[in-house]
Amino acid sequence: MTTLPTSDTICARATPPGIAGLAVIRLSGPDAIAIADRHINGRVSPNEAMARTVHQGWWMDGDVRIDEITYVVFTAPKSYTGEHVVEVSCHGGYFVTEQILTSLIGDGARLAEPGEFTKRAFMNGKMDLTQVEAVADILHAESRVGARTAAKQLAGGFTRRLTETREKLIGVLGLLELELDFSEEDVEFVDRTHLRNSVQEIINASINLAGTASSAEVLRSGFTCAVVGFPNAGKSSLFNALLSRERAIVSDVEGTTRDYIEETIHLHGFSVRLIDTAGLRTSSDAIEVQGMVLTRSIIEQANLVVIVNDVSQGLHASASLVDELTRQVGPFDAVVVQNKSDLLQSELSDVGTNDLLVSAKTGSGIDELRDLLYDRVKVSAEGISDVLVNARQAQLLQQLVVCLRSVITGMDEGLSSDYLAVDLRAALRILGDVTGEVWDPDVLEHVFSRFCIGK
Amino acid sequence: MKFDTLVIGGGHAGIEASVAAARMGMKVGLVTMDINTLGRLSCNPSIGGSAKGHLAKEIDALGGVMPRIADASGIQFKMLNTSKGPAVWSPRSQNDKDLYPLYAQNLVLSTPGITIIPETAEEILVKNDAVTGLRTASGEEIYARTVILCSGTFLNAVMWTGMTNTEGGRVGERASHKISDLLAAYGLEKGRLKTGTPPRIDKRSIDLSGLTPHNGDEPPCPFSITTKRVKNWLACWATTTSEQTHDILRTGFDRSPMFTGRIRGAGPRYCPSIEDKIDRFSEKSSHIIVLEPEGMSTDTVYVNGFSTSLPPDIQEAGLRTIPGLQNAKILRHGYAVEYDFFFPYQLTFGLETKAISGLFFAGQINGTSGYEEAASQGLIAGINAARKVRGEDPFVLSRSEAYIGVLIDDLVNKNTEEPYRIFTSLAEYRLLLRIDTVYDRLLPKAHTLGLIDGSIEARWRRSYEFRQRLSSLTETTKIQPAAANPVLVESNEDVIPETTTLATVARRPTVPLRRLLDAVGVLSPTLLDEHNDDVVAVQTEIRYDGYIKKQRRDVERFALNEQLNISSTFDYDRVSSLSTEAREKLKRIRPQSLGQASRIPGVSAADVSILTLYLK
Repeated sequence: MTTLPTSDTICARATPPGIAGLAVIRLSGPDAIAIADRHINGRVSPNEAMARTVHQGWWMDGDVRIDEITYVVFTAPKSYTGEHVVEVSCHGGYFVTEQILTSLIGDGARLAEPGEFTKRAFMNGKMDLTQVEAVADILHAESRVGARTAAKQLAGGFTRRLTETREKLIGVLGLLELELDFSEEDVEFVDRTHLRNSVQEIINASINLAGTASSAEVLRSGFTCAVVGFPNAGKSSLFNALLSRERAIVSDVEGTTRDYIEETIHLHGFSVRLIDTAGLRTSSDAIEVQGMVLTRSIIEQANLVVIVNDVSQGLHASASLVDELTRQVGPFDAVVVQNKSDLLQSELSDVGTNDLLVSAKTGSGIDELRDLLYDRVKVSAEGISDVLVNARQAQLLQQLVVCLRSVITGMDEGLSSDYLAVDLRAALRILGDVTGEVWDPDVLEHVFSRFCIGK
Repeated sequence: MKFDTLVIGGGHAGIEASVAAARMGMKVGLVTMDINTLGRLSCNPSIGGSAKGHLAKEIDALGGVMPRIADASGIQFKMLNTSKGPAVWSPRSQNDKDLYPLYAQNLVLSTPGITIIPETAEEILVKNDAVTGLRTASGEEIYARTVILCSGTFLNAVMWTGMTNTEGGRVGERASHKISDLLAAYGLEKGRLKTGTPPRIDKRSIDLSGLTPHNGDEPPCPFSITTKRVKNWLACWATTTSEQTHDILRTGFDRSPMFTGRIRGAGPRYCPSIEDKIDRFSEKSSHIIVLEPEGMSTDTVYVNGFSTSLPPDIQEAGLRTIPGLQNAKILRHGYAVEYDFFFPYQLTFGLETKAISGLFFAGQINGTSGYEEAASQGLIAGINAARKVRGEDPFVLSRSEAYIGVLIDDLVNKNTEEPYRIFTSLAEYRLLLRIDTVYDRLLPKAHTLGLIDGSIEARWRRSYEFRQRLSSLTETTKIQPAAANPVLVESNEDVIPETTTLATVARRPTVPLRRLLDAVGVLSPTLLDEHNDDVVAVQTEIRYDGYIKKQRRDVERFALNEQLNISSTFDYDRVSSLSTEAREKLKRIRPQSLGQASRIPGVSAADVSILTLYLK
């Protein structure tokens, strides 16, 4: 037998690393208050502080003042994890948080593993499995709509929908079992058409639920837009034109491979990730696409590909680029932006009907581009209602559909009910896996591995 | 007097326990108030039925006696559910109520090693938490290493008809008080259950014209591998209740003892009394009633489907609205029996009480209902009493091996609030626990235990080897369209365009394998006739191969969780995150494995996941 998993006290930064005005450090476990008490010097000490109230103080390392902080004490079980929790808000930045964490670890706390706070919350009965997954989704939620939906799931909306499906399934299985368990003399055969229809209804509901996964992905991670064009097509100025309207630069992350640049803009609550695929080169008039593996993967994963062309250099470059990419990647959803329209001497007669004439420099056509992007995002997010299905759940729901389709096939082939029941029972087990009602340690491992440190 | 094993009670559990222990070489004393009540069919004159037939077949494969007695005293034999798929095919017999106990007595008396003790057991003797024997009503002490208590409904029994009650476990037989109180004094937790039986009527007062006869199968099929031939002697007759019947019965609901204590939430699976059926399925305007003759030399008829404890006047008025029963003469009214049972979580999987070493419980004392459920437990208790005497580990069947395994696992884990009855839906691996696999599953084990003699084992081996041979033949033998297509057309199946293997064609759900074999002419018709059941068994394996494999994989996964052991001294109080209910249940039942823990109601998936983290 191992030690009690809740016997030690864990700590971690609860806010993302990097430069920010404030950072929050969370401490959870039986010794959380005692440890904090030894480091906080304030008008009220954590030991005596009123719970769930903000207090001010200094973070001390011995006699040295590290930072001026505010803190909140949550006494067990009325906390996120169900244990004693202290949350400390300090000044942001690497140095201060590192100093505070070091002093905590020096005092017996342990750095939390990814997802450990939520794991403890789950183990202390603070939330069910779908709620745990919803927390992961909120943490990863890139858009306001996504966060709202995740919050709804946290409140149990998803569980309710699944419970409805589960009850329907139990109803169908119950009818069959009744028929199987009693002799012909005692019970009549269940109407097969009725049974078939009920199973079909459950299939439809499950497909519906599973189908929200791709829309949910848009809400969670944002709508992804691959921006493709030659270096001189004016992509950066196009980015800036799009960004300046929103005044909300979220990040300016260079891809870890350093082969692409990513920027995020927000459109009426939806986030749109713009990814600049580097690596397009021309040599003489043949298009040479370098680093095609990466470009291909970006285009494949993108919800939309924006082809940027310098219209002042003519239309042929964008046309051949689309052809070449289609040849190499296969068909994709694309919008062609003819940039630098301000440099055009005269009206172009042969611009494609779907092409957008834009000048990043003057701002002409930018609103149209934004509207177009917004329309596409909206379409992608359609079908999302009150639930957010993640990839694991969607996969299980698809398995569920396979099981239930096998029931329908079995019925059509005239299989006897004892065999139909096998697939129905399997379907029920799968549904249990989604909600965590049926015990399966792998499900838990999978869920908990999705968390980043601090939550 | 001194015995290896004392068995208290000569019902279906007591008989199996005595015979099994004696066959395993034990000196057995069977304590029964009256030898003439040995093996009595106190409720319906019938053995088997849905899922119960599976238990009966398993008892046969383990060398038990119930199936042999049922065959010998059978007056009608039928395979139920043949239209519903091989997993739920279940044999049932109607039996002569007078012959059954006679054959039972004969079998017990002719088994070497059993001494009948015509006494009432009044007290169980215990020393240092281990059983040492019993004291009879006449004050005599009888000693034994092991005692198996199979007291049926007799512990603190009360019989009810309407609101009147009398003491006793069965009409004309008195109740037993002391044992129940004594066991409670040893800390065993007891509860109270009720069971019921329908009225018996006089055959001569029934108008059979207009009723539907229910005949047995031709040819009739016996339960036991040891029985050569059985015969159908009598028909049963079916009739139905009507709205008028239901209205009359409803007027007596306020005087129904079953209603005040009836169990809610058990669902429609288990509806023993007619008043329950009317109450739960109010939308149904009629229920089937089967009139079952209780024997060849009696005029008593059992009114199956009309189990009731309503007052006598209501029973009579209700019966007389049923077609054929307008002038029915009631010989005995239906009644309910209320009795003590001990919560079976207090038992090991070998059916030994955890509190008192060497004391075993079997049958209704564990909260079950039904002859077959009782006999199954008696058999297991008898085997394990013998093993206890020999100092061996208990013999336990798992849920994936037998319905008996499902039954005992459910008893220990689930603590049902109603009398436990076996159902096929309780078996997760129903497709594997078919009656045609029963001897493969259990007979070799019984042979090893010494419960089955060599000649029967040899008979099974012949069947087994034939099936192996036939199975591989279907894979290797080719069938041409000319031979297959007439059979396929007959079964309304698509014809085959070219030569293929027998197995491929036999996979079609409605094509009889026997017809294909005849068309190919690969085995002699005489041999196939002789192995008719084996051909059907192979046909099932071929047709449902995919499903059967799927269940086998499930069994493997199931077995993994059964192997994650939990120490018997595990301190559940240290796991603060367990729900209170789960902690209480786990402390009470003390599961041996994580798999077992996951089956305990009240222990949620979250509780089990928490336990996994502790056990890693």
